Amino acid sequence: MSLEQHFTCPLPNGVHARPASALEEVVRGFDADVILVNQRTSRTANSKSILAIVGADIRHDDPCIFKVSGPDEKQAMAALTLFLQDQFPHCDESPMGNPKPSDALRLPPCLSQAGALVYRGTPVVPGIAQAQVARFDRKTVPALLPKNGEIDPAIEWPRLETALEKLIADCDTRLSGTDQGIEIELLKVHRSIARDIEFRRLLSEEVNQHRHPAAEAIANAEKHFSDVLIASGSELLCDRTLDIQDVCSQLLLEFYGRQATQAAVKLTGDSIVVADSLTPGQFLALDRKFLKGLVLARAGATSHTVILARAFNIPTLAGVENLADIQFNGHEVVVDADVGVLVTRLTDAARRYYALEKQRIAGRRAHLRTLSMKPAGTVDGHPWKTLAWWFITRLSMKPAGTVDGHLLEIAANIATGAEAAGAFEAGAEGIGLFRTEMLFLDRKSPPDEAEQLKAYQDVLAAAKGRPVVIRTLDVGGDKKLDYLNLPPEENPFLGCRAVRIYPEFEALFRTQIRALVRASAFGKLRVMIPMIATLDEARWVKKVIADEQRKCVEEKTGFDQAMLVGAMIEVPSAVFALKELAGEFDFFSIGSNDLLQYFMAADRMNGRLGALYNPLQPSFLRFLRQAVETAHACKKEISLCGEMGGQARYIPLLAGLELDKLSASAPAIAGLKAELGALKLPDCRELVDEALDCTSAGEVSALLETFASRHNPPLIEESLILLESDATTKEEAIKQAADQLFVLGRTENSRALEEAVWQREATYSTGFGHGFAIPHCKSNAVRYNSMVLLKPRHPLAWNSLDGQPVRVMILLAVREANSTTVHMKVLARLARRIMDPNFRAELENTADPATLCALLLKSLDH
Amino acid sequence: MKIVAVTACPTGIAHTYMAAEKLERTAKKLGHTIKVETQGAMGIENELTQEEVDAADAAIIATDIAIEREERFSRVRKIYVPVQEALKDAEGIFARLKG
Repeated sequence: MSLEQHFTCPLPNGVHARPASALEEVVRGFDADVILVNQRTSRTANSKSILAIVGADIRHDDPCIFKVSGPDEKQAMAALTLFLQDQFPHCDESPMGNPKPSDALRLPPCLSQAGALVYRGTPVVPGIAQAQVARFDRKTVPALLPKNGEIDPAIEWPRLETALEKLIADCDTRLSGTDQGIEIELLKVHRSIARDIEFRRLLSEEVNQHRHPAAEAIANAEKHFSDVLIASGSELLCDRTLDIQDVCSQLLLEFYGRQATQAAVKLTGDSIVVADSLTPGQFLALDRKFLKGLVLARAGATSHTVILARAFNIPTLAGVENLADIQFNGHEVVVDADVGVLVTRLTDAARRYYALEKQRIAGRRAHLRTLSMKPAGTVDGHPWKTLAWWFITRLSMKPAGTVDGHLLEIAANIATGAEAAGAFEAGAEGIGLFRTEMLFLDRKSPPDEAEQLKAYQDVLAAAKGRPVVIRTLDVGGDKKLDYLNLPPEENPFLGCRAVRIYPEFEALFRTQIRALVRASAFGKLRVMIPMIATLDEARWVKKVIADEQRKCVEEKTGFDQAMLVGAMIEVPSAVFALKELAGEFDFFSIGSNDLLQYFMAADRMNGRLGALYNPLQPSFLRFLRQAVETAHACKKEISLCGEMGGQARYIPLLAGLELDKLSASAPAIAGLKAELGALKLPDCRELVDEALDCTSAGEVSALLETFASRHNPPLIEESLILLESDATTKEEAIKQAADQLFVLGRTENSRALEEAVWQREATYSTGFGHGFAIPHCKSNAVRYNSMVLLKPRHPLAWNSLDGQPVRVMILLAVREANSTTVHMKVLARLARRIMDPNFRAELENTADPATLCALLLKSLDH
Repeated sequence: MKIVAVTACPTGIAHTYMAAEKLERTAKKLGHTIKVETQGAMGIENELTQEEVDAADAAIIATDIAIEREERFSRVRKIYVPVQEALKDAEGIFARLKG
């Protein structure tokens, strides 16, 4: 006989994997059979199989029956009754559904009205890319795995069972190590599938009866259960096939090890690569000709993959939730790592928006390029420049003030040799930091001398005589090399990393030094040692270098006797030992990221410490000043190669601190040079003096603000007059105007500017009638007070006071801080003038930008 | 008529001055004398004294925000209008003053 219990499914999303897993947990301990019947579909399921339960397709309000029979049926029924009462109704309180288009995020108006699907993520490398998706997250089985019939079930099956057990044990371990609700639920589901009796039965049948190898057995089981779920016709159940796929992937990995993960995705056209995560090796294996964008479920802003993506300028979005669930169906998508969204289902309006974005970014780049080509910018190859460089480096002396009119050299940070050419194209005057870790990561043994020599030579060849600073291996800490077998540390950033591991791995270090010494014969190579903290370390390193140079002499191998050796200043103690270190080193370079985190004792990865991890902390600026002064007193060059050097707004400070050189990522260079071109050394010095007297980072920030506002360009220029605009809506017209301000560097954040315009627009329409509109804003996103005149090809609906469409739009962008300036008077005068019908007619009938600009300037002048 | 007016708008960049200009032009056209104070991004300009307000026949307060020194207008006949009303229908505002 059997016991029965009727119930109605209370769960709005039905019985999917999570409730099924909870049910399976309850019944698995009993000997009795527990059959679940869905009366709506007449499907029955063994309640000890989560896959069977899910396959019964139980939806909200479906009438169901538990039929329990067996020795301990009473106890089982009691447990089930309790489960139905207490646990079942609540076991789906945070469903893992599909992500919805994010509404919390403020999207640009043109995009939010475009009707596309938008998924939020964290932008880690800015930029925008549009292409088809290439998924990376499914582990594919290499072709070299055994074919049918070539296996011995007596060996294969026990191995597969062991793999299953290990998978379950792994779930248990991870379960005990997390308190993240969603992760716990997910792991439980995975564990239930891994120990599912139906799943195991099918695998066994595949291997023992059909003599299929494990790979095929797993693939067939995955297909079988996925088909069952898909056949249910329920969208929710279809989504759950991903759980099965996940478990099968893990099982493959468990069974075959790395073989199962190494299969690379081959890109055959422009692609956005979508992956759960990506190792640096996998990244480098991708064909970069086709790699346009990257979407990762997991990746920190400073992971090596992200550093690589940044170096190659690949727009990258991380932390997109439930990435595996997003259906792309072969359509184009957009990775917008400026706004921080992944956009699918591109509509015409969305495509138009991204066409405008493309123009905006290309326009800015072209503008910066023009600026950086001005005489005050680069003077690569200029004989006087070369002479000056020789003078500085060879005599280790720095002429006070400026070298041929510019304050700071701008060099590039690179992580692979392949980036060098692009960096020089972007205007780099040298390579200020070549991180060599990429040569060593993701492999079974370190690169030999010949391989390294080739890599260094390649960069020197691309540099064509310009200086190249190559940093020796900086591993340990968070960067692990399998072949070094470094023990785990409690506090890796304060542990054995960089120069600290060289004595232990002396052969490894000597090989690198030897490759560098030999490479020095091929260009202006400078060696930099990371994490120097004491004079002892310096002496040890210098001795190794001298040894290797001596060996080269003995072997008659060519090298540059005068190759400079420098220290990276990352450990605060080095600043207080700089005078002594200057006896050993020829130059110094401040690694501001680590130096700041050690100086403030604030983990730079910890977002909650952002206020401390701020390079504008006056104490840190004083510290930098001391470093620069000491270095210069010792007649040594000192540069800065951390993230601080890549930010245009810090440039006046860094110039005023009288650093000799900055090194930043290639995309930042043009902006830095443009900023630098407008500065005068005495002003910057004065700024630094004031900043050092500040009492908080906020004060320094305000000081920078005031400093920047002194160099205001005129309100309007010819390039701010946009005629024949193809804008089809008010939103697009405002975007085009804001974009142009971005192109010309009058705002660094055109989206925030737009947002401010729209906030103003929300109070009432700025279309004041007669075919004219003057949208405007007061915002600190505005860098320089500006005016944009736009005439659309076709009049735009504007919700004007007189209901007329708009033929002339004048956008006024005013900076929030210090807005009571002469510009405000001019704008007030414009507002008055525009009430004059004759003036409006003149504006409307003039079709030449130069004349229009002159007209505006003249009429607004006294 | 002898009229005084104040204009003010949220950002104080455009509408304050456009409305002031519009009121001045319309007053001239209709044969009134007018003095318009603006309260914009540059603060108060063309400020009305208490005497000027007291001597006026009526006041127009064209604003979307609370104005400064409103107490000056406590004794004079006045109408409040949104600032865009001055742009849309200035003549209508003057007509209402008459009535």
